[in-house]
Amino acid sequence: MEQLYIDLENYLGIGTDSVPEVVRLAIAVLVLGTIFLLAPILTIWVERKVAARFQNRIGPNRTGPYGLLQSFADVLKLIGKEQIMPAHADRIPFLFAPLLMVVSVIMITAVIPLMPNYIGADLSIGALYFVAIGSLSTIAVVMAGWGSNNKYALLGAFRTVAQLISYEIPLVFSLLVPVLFAGTMSMVGITQAQADLDYWYIFLAPASFLIFLFSNLAEIGRTPFDLLEAESELVAGYQIEYSAMPWGMFMLSEFLHAFLIGPLVAVLFLGGWDGPFAEDVPVLGVVYLVIKSMAVYFLGMWMRATLPRFRIDQLMEFNWKFLVPLSIANLLIASFLWELFPEPAGGGLVDNFPRFIVMGGSSLFTLMVGLEFLRRKSVEDRERIARLIDEKNYPLATADQTGVAGD
Amino acid sequence: MFEVPVFDDLNAWAALPIILLALGTSILLVADLFIPEDRKRLTASLALGGVTVSLVVAMLQALGVEIGEQGAAFADMFIADQFTYVVNVIALSSAFIGILVSYDYFERAEVKRGEYYSLLLFSTMGAMLMGASRNLVMIFVALELLSIPLYLLSAFRKPIAASEESALKYFLLGAFSSGFLVYGITLLYGATGTFDIDGIWTAAVEIIDGEISRQFTLIAGFGLVIVGLGFKVGAVPFHGWQPDVYQGAPTPVTAFMSVTAKTGGFAAMLRVLVAGIPVVVAEDIAMWQDTIQVIALLTLVLGNFVAIMQDELKRMLAYSSIAHAGYLLIAVAAGGTEGIGDQAAQSALIYLLAYTFTNIGAFAVVVAMEHVDYSGTKLNDLKGLSNTNPMLAAVMALFMFSLTGIPGTAGFVGKWFVFKAAIDADLVLLAVVGVLTSVVSAFYYLRVVVNMYMEPGTPETQPETPSLRWALGITAAGTLILGILPYFMTELAEGVTVALIR
Amino acid sequence: MLDVYAPVAPLFILAILVGGIILILSRLMGPSKPHARKVATYESGMRPIGPAVRRLPVQFHRVGMLFILFDIEVIFFIPWALVFRDLGFYGLAVMGVFFYVLLIGLAYEWFAGGLEWEQ
Repeated sequence: MEQLYIDLENYLGIGTDSVPEVVRLAIAVLVLGTIFLLAPILTIWVERKVAARFQNRIGPNRTGPYGLLQSFADVLKLIGKEQIMPAHADRIPFLFAPLLMVVSVIMITAVIPLMPNYIGADLSIGALYFVAIGSLSTIAVVMAGWGSNNKYALLGAFRTVAQLISYEIPLVFSLLVPVLFAGTMSMVGITQAQADLDYWYIFLAPASFLIFLFSNLAEIGRTPFDLLEAESELVAGYQIEYSAMPWGMFMLSEFLHAFLIGPLVAVLFLGGWDGPFAEDVPVLGVVYLVIKSMAVYFLGMWMRATLPRFRIDQLMEFNWKFLVPLSIANLLIASFLWELFPEPAGGGLVDNFPRFIVMGGSSLFTLMVGLEFLRRKSVEDRERIARLIDEKNYPLATADQTGVAGD
Repeated sequence: MFEVPVFDDLNAWAALPIILLALGTSILLVADLFIPEDRKRLTASLALGGVTVSLVVAMLQALGVEIGEQGAAFADMFIADQFTYVVNVIALSSAFIGILVSYDYFERAEVKRGEYYSLLLFSTMGAMLMGASRNLVMIFVALELLSIPLYLLSAFRKPIAASEESALKYFLLGAFSSGFLVYGITLLYGATGTFDIDGIWTAAVEIIDGEISRQFTLIAGFGLVIVGLGFKVGAVPFHGWQPDVYQGAPTPVTAFMSVTAKTGGFAAMLRVLVAGIPVVVAEDIAMWQDTIQVIALLTLVLGNFVAIMQDELKRMLAYSSIAHAGYLLIAVAAGGTEGIGDQAAQSALIYLLAYTFTNIGAFAVVVAMEHVDYSGTKLNDLKGLSNTNPMLAAVMALFMFSLTGIPGTAGFVGKWFVFKAAIDADLVLLAVVGVLTSVVSAFYYLRVVVNMYMEPGTPETQPETPSLRWALGITAAGTLILGILPYFMTELAEGVTVALIR
Repeated sequence: MLDVYAPVAPLFILAILVGGIILILSRLMGPSKPHARKVATYESGMRPIGPAVRRLPVQFHRVGMLFILFDIEVIFFIPWALVFRDLGFYGLAVMGVFFYVLLIGLAYEWFAGGLEWEQ
């Protein structure tokens, strides 16, 4: 297997003979890391603009053209704010939690293949690395919650942990579908396999794609899965005692993580940098990847702007009773069909077509069956609650509905 | 890249009893949730049905019907030979009688959890797998499968403190001893580079002639494995948990675990320790034999003498159970002499089979005596039982005779074969101590009989229900028939070999 | 083999540096005027009552146990998925047994009420 370090000779034009490889590597990684670190500054703006449009507002428009500089202003303001250290805080976890959060997110960027032969590190366990490092943030959240020594913070941290670890299971199960198709966990390998197959895995396993997307949204804790910082009940969850830049770092890493879900989903299910002429003109690969990532990111924003927050029992039931069984069923069906219909020699759009029909169809069918069950369950629940209200003349907000269950 | 296995390598048919039981139990586990609380008899019947099917298959296999090939299965993890088949029969019989004993007891105590039967069957599977492992990792997994349900079962009378206490004690000490076992397995792996029991013994031959550090690792490994398994069977000095756990656990659970844990533990012990003897002929390597001898001596003496001092029936049976572990250890020790291995294994299995019927039967009598609040099992409570309930007294007397080893009962046959193996193996001292302690044991076993027949009193007994009556009938019949016609047992055990065939 | 991981190290250092510098910068540039009210634990404007670290709701504990069970099982799927093409139907059948055990466990948890947040 060829080494796929960032090749500065080709892409950045720095002479290499005079510079030792370690330095080249370091510079390359620095460039990569900085790009991704700066990305949130843009994505925050995008997010605010889009959210504003969803809510029939204009969004930031004063700082710079179209409000583009808003994020810079925010960062500067945060740096100038006072860092408050709560008197009863457990200082070490309190101080290191934001750092760990940022580190966990930045480390992820190492395995994102931007274009053919352009990746930080082509790890053979790339996809697993992404999930594993990404879930380090769970520990940061616990550290923050514990270190703050605040009831809201601790409760928020517990909820976060419960949520993150629960959604990790459908996440990995649906992650296994592309891995199983490609026969590798390397991000480059998965992208290449999709390029060779001529079908992106979303066409072969649409249900897995959706499950993966949902679990990822839950992993990063965005609406509708934002129980960890449910403003209405927990104020700000684990971030409650944080101020100034430590708080900013939580926000930064949350946005960065949210953005990085885009490339991950794009690589696993949407073919990564694959697209017309991407093999010949590598820069096109970056363009394709960014478009796909932004599309996924937009989906996330759409859901965030549209859907209300889950209650914690709904959240858990949605995971354990819907996503987990569905993802297991999908993995089973996908593996069985993949084995049943042997790969046509050479791949190709036409030869793989029957396969696409059968696999995609069965995946969609599973999803439909699952959704039908979900629909019946929710109708049943709604009728039950309506009956309760009718019969017992309950006030509208019962403990059953406000969702402070278990607090 | 690597060799892709094929289905024929699995030889899954050989493991049919276990597979059937696993399938049935897992379905039962879920099915039970849909059975309403007042109809838990259905769960018990289903469990009984599952065990029966599995038992029939195991019996057929043990009687020589070819179901699956004899030999290694599941990529050398599993071994199916006569030894496995007989262990299966023993474990399944104890599960069968155990379920019969349990139902009324829990009905009376108003414990309505159907998981009980699934857990009991999982534990049985563990015992079956322990006899069928040819790999140390497998032995460990089987041991956990055997133990973890037992921890839970001990706590099944939850609000009663004694039950909870016994479960916690068992769990803590059991987890601790599993640690010893794993550590021993690790050291053995470190010394020999394999988990395969055969491979370990083959490598051990080289190590004994090699450098001292590897020898030390090997010996420490074997030592820790003996400790881990010794805990499971309740050998002195690892017996500390046994009286408390046996006394505190619900009586049917005690009945079941006294037999099943022993079956599993001794099966694994014979597999790990005795299996090597046909492989290696080196003199030094049977050094574990001395260790086992010492443990056996201690176990015999302590178990029998302390049992004398008990005034509580369950506790006395717990110490008696320690003593019986001692007799079984005699068989294991005898296996250390070259050429005696097969005979020792046969005698141990015969003993276990006899012990299964007798001991569960004795505990079934305790179930018939015991009140819901754990009282009514003092030795004094037995006084005059022959007047109020002559059948129960007669059956109990039979079990006590059998546990003592009086001719005409199954216990005698078991002891006969064990002592014979010991003498053939030149372990005369062990055999003599075994006989002498049997005489000592007569004191406390016969005291029960004396209490029942020669003392005045009007003990209360629980109303006998059909399933308990069946259990008593089966165990009594088994004890008698196997005692008068030992042919059945010897026939089963005839083909038992300890060599790990491929 | 391991040198594939080499780029991860500078990235790690970069992440620590960036994070650390931002934190220190913020500490240096921001004011620091603590007083008792400001550093008190936030409790919606009330005086804090009791410690924050107390008995946590048991549901979280249960979720933790469920997670451990499932996560360990998930781990076994990863190597299987990687060599799936080589193992073929044999792997599928063997893993089917594993799936079966997993599903029995899930079904038991489900029907025994282990997945309900509130009993």
